[in-house]
This record gives sequence, structure tokens and C-alpha cells, in this order.
Amino acid sequence: MTAVATPRRERHSVSAVSTFALTYRIFVREVITRARIIALSMLGIVVVVVGWAVGMSDSSDLPLDALDNGVHLTVRLCLTVVVPVVALVFAAGVLGNSRDDGTLVYLWLRPLRRWPIALGAYASALTIIAPLTIVPIVVSAILIDPSSTLFLAVLMSSAVAVVGYTGMFVLLGSLLRKSIVWGLAYIIIWEGIASSLGKAAARLSIRGYASSILSERTGVSVDTFSVSQAWGIAVPVAVAAVAIMLTAIRLDRVDVA
Amino acid sequence: MSALPPPPPPPSADPGVEPMVQLTNVSKVFGDVVAVSDVSFAVGPGVTALLGPNGAGKSTLFRLLCGLTPPSKGEVRVLGSDARRDREVRGRIGLVGQEDGLFDRLSAFRFVEIAAATHGMVDPARVAVESLAEVDLDADDPKPLGSYSKGMRQRVKVATGLVNDPDVLVLDEPLAGLDPVQRRRMISLFHRLGDEGRCVLVSSHVLDEVAKIGSRVLVIAQGRLAATGDYRDLRGLMDDRPHRIRLSVDDPRALAARLIESGTAVAVRIDGEALVADTLDLDRFGRVIAPMARDSGVRLREVLPLDDDLESVFRYLVEGR
Repeated sequence: MTAVATPRRERHSVSAVSTFALTYRIFVREVITRARIIALSMLGIVVVVVGWAVGMSDSSDLPLDALDNGVHLTVRLCLTVVVPVVALVFAAGVLGNSRDDGTLVYLWLRPLRRWPIALGAYASALTIIAPLTIVPIVVSAILIDPSSTLFLAVLMSSAVAVVGYTGMFVLLGSLLRKSIVWGLAYIIIWEGIASSLGKAAARLSIRGYASSILSERTGVSVDTFSVSQAWGIAVPVAVAAVAIMLTAIRLDRVDVA
Repeated sequence: MSALPPPPPPPSADPGVEPMVQLTNVSKVFGDVVAVSDVSFAVGPGVTALLGPNGAGKSTLFRLLCGLTPPSKGEVRVLGSDARRDREVRGRIGLVGQEDGLFDRLSAFRFVEIAAATHGMVDPARVAVESLAEVDLDADDPKPLGSYSKGMRQRVKVATGLVNDPDVLVLDEPLAGLDPVQRRRMISLFHRLGDEGRCVLVSSHVLDEVAKIGSRVLVIAQGRLAATGDYRDLRGLMDDRPHRIRLSVDDPRALAARLIESGTAVAVRIDGEALVADTLDLDRFGRVIAPMARDSGVRLREVLPLDDDLESVFRYLVEGR
């Protein structure tokens, strides 16, 4: 080896925890933009308004009771549209944007392990997506039916959906350049249409498992396959874990601009 | 200075010393586009300039070197390892890329401090202050990077590249956007780093810039290593090559005959109402062309040098003409 200048400055190896913390802070700051927060908060407000409108309606005008309404609204609007769309915008943008704008190199060309970067990206997306989705969905549910049955069921199912979708879309953002387009296509075609038409498709969708939790806890049928609550939680969590792992592998192999 | 075909792996700047950066028969293909073709070179400590026109493959070569993209063929070694695989080596490389992307909502200090932290530097805040001082930027400036001018952003990138005391510093067009004073300071910084035993690789497409950056030059054109060696040899090659001049005249045939007859031009071509002449002696050509046109009864409307730029030097090196 050739003569190399003696480093003037001291350094230490960067631990996985430090890598995670650094990555998390960077991504949280980069992903939150005023325009995104305003646009997606509007979506949350729409959910609350719809919940309020349904809750205020005279129950004699409605074909189902309040609990049924709350469950169906959560499945059709919240788990099928609100959670996946908000998750897509923020989660796919975490790594996707930094790759597109050339800032990924500031994390990539460093003596850092890849998996804490992937985990930091996931955690930062989750930090933003969870309050933007779960809060309005739960508020909407309370406005429809103030019982604790619906409240807890909606809280759990939306939280599980957020965990699963966020993992999938962080991975998608690291894999594809036009991740928003592909992600929307996936949400509409698979999560929206296919999973509501057949049990096999529902079994391969995040919405299927989140809906299953809702159904299991409230006793309201939502035209989907049925699994135990434990499986309903475990599968989306496992999807997120595998997605983080694949994101780390992808980071190791990606072409960085 | 050697023209195409490039020699097999050229020797390191200092024979007998293992190179800090070594590329062996490296090619990189993006779809149908060959960005880098069978490039081999080795460089050691000191400043080396990578010279080539825009789109020649300089940035791709630097990306390969830093491990940002894998080679389609061949082997890239930096400090004896593959930066794409070796985490420790990544910590010993400093890169100032051509991409303009920065974390725009951060201040320069925070941005450089984060860079130091991600390199595991002890006391990243102090390192950030020192690195910003190296490029004449104020660490206390609270303005976000998004409000910085191109030159200031460029200096922030250089500061970021310095935080880890890199053994190999790769700078892709680092002088772009800088004013003349900053250019001088930056070039002097590169020389100091090179003198400290670091391998400093600087790319540029401006020949005069390269003259100041370093005497050791790698010339890349169309993805191939067109020449390697000392800058002075390259300059000489520029001066020795035939120069091409376009002359707008009312009777190109008459003037062409006189140019060849007198030995003022070595080759001529008629192009409509214009005459394109190749000459080996530009000074003499300049002196005699007006009297010659007058004596021949030819009206000379315009004299335009066609190859008084770097592109023509590359063309000459690559095409051998």
C-alpha cells in the first residue's frame, strides 16, 4: 500500500444505532414539506367530515346501524384510499426523492451499514404517516359511533395498515423511479379492486388483513377473508420487516447518481 | 503524451509505489450506451486532472471509482479494495460530485456536520467549522442551503468532501460556478492536499483550468482514455497538430490552388462558397492569407478558426487527425 497521509482528525466506527438516528433525523426533515402536509391533511379533514356527516344522519335513514357504518366507512374509504395514498406519498418519497435529487450519495458513500439506513427511512416515514392517517380515521370513527368497540377496532386496523403499507412503499421508492405512478396503480387495481373481489387476492393485500382485524373485533362482516386477529397483525408486520430487509439489500446494489 | 490506442495500464505516477487508485480494463454500459470503454490507469498521491469534453465519461468514471455504480467489465480498486463492497474504504474517500442536490433546508453548518457525523468523526461540529473555513464559508450563517448561490453550494460540497480527511479525494468539475478568486484558493487547496500525500483527482473540461490544477493529466474522450501524461505534452500536441480554418471567399478554387502551391496549407476542401484549409503553421497562415487573396484577385470575407477549442484536441487525439 502506498504512503497515505495520516488522518488529522479522529474518527470511530458509526454504530447501527447512530446510523439509524442520523438517517431518521435527515429523512424526517427532508420528507416533510408544507405542500405535502397541507394536501394530505385535507384528505384527513375529508375523512373527519364524512364521519361527522354519517354520524349526524338519522339512523332511520340508514340501512345499517352505526357500528356497521363505521366499519364499512373505515374499510372502503380509510383502508382503501386514505392510508395507502398518504403512505405512498411519504414512504415512496423517503428514498425515492433522495435518489432522484442526488442526495442519497451523502448517506451511501459513507462507512455505514445499509440496514439501519433502511430502518431509519422506514421509521421516518412512519412518524409522518401515522398521525396524518390514524388520527382523522379514529376521530371519524368516534363521530359515527362513540363506542369503544369501534374505536379500538379502527385504531388497530388502521395502525396495522400503516405499518404494512409504509414498509411496502419505502421499498417501492427504492426500487422504481416513477414509484408514485406504480404505487397508485397498485392501490387502485390490487388493494382497491382485486382484494375486494376474491379471498385469494385479499389474502395477498394489506387491506385484507387490516379489514380482517376490524371484522374480528366488531363482528361486522366486510366481505373479505377471515383470519385471527393475531394473523391480521402478524402478516402486515412481517411484510414491513421483509420490505425493510429488501430495501437494505437494494441500497447495497443501487446505482447512485 | 500518448494518443490512441491507449497503452495497457499506465504506470503509477511514482513507479514502485502501489497506486491508490487503479482501474483495469474498466467498461461501463448503460443500455445501448457505452459510457466508459476499456479504461485502464493507475494513480498515486498528488493531484491528477481528468480532462475531457462534456459527456466524455468523466463523471461515470468517478462514479465507478467511488463504487456508486459497478463496472460492466473490468476491475476498480481504491486503496486496494472495491469501494462498493468495502465499508472501511468508503470512509476514506471524499467525493465532490457534479450533482447539485443538497439537503436544501439545512444550514451549511448542519449539512457539513451531518456529513462529519456519518463519517464517524469525533466532534463533528468542530470538523464542520474547520471544513467550512477551508472553503471560506461562515459556519454561523443560518441561511438554508436552498438560498445559496451556485458557487457557495459548490464550496459547501467541497467542505463536505473534506470532513473525513480523505486519502482519496474525487472532485467532479469542482471549479464550476466559482469566481476567479475562489478558483485560485480552491486550486491551492487541492495542491496542498496532494502535497500531503493524498490522491486528489479533479475533472474538468476546461484546458486552461487543468493547466493550473495539475501537471499530471488523464485525457478521456468518448468514454476512452485518449491520452495520459504531462500537461505540457498535451499543450505541445495542441500546438503541433494541423489547424483547420474556414475562409469565406468569392472564388474558393483560385485561393485553394494558391494555398497548396505555396505550401501554406497541407489540405484544402471546397465547401460551397467557403474554403476549409488545414495548416501546420498558424502564424504564417495569418500573415500571408490577406496578401495572397489580394494578389489572386479573390475577395476575402471572413476567416474563422474551426478547431481552436478543446473539443478539436480531443477529436485529434481520438481520431488521429
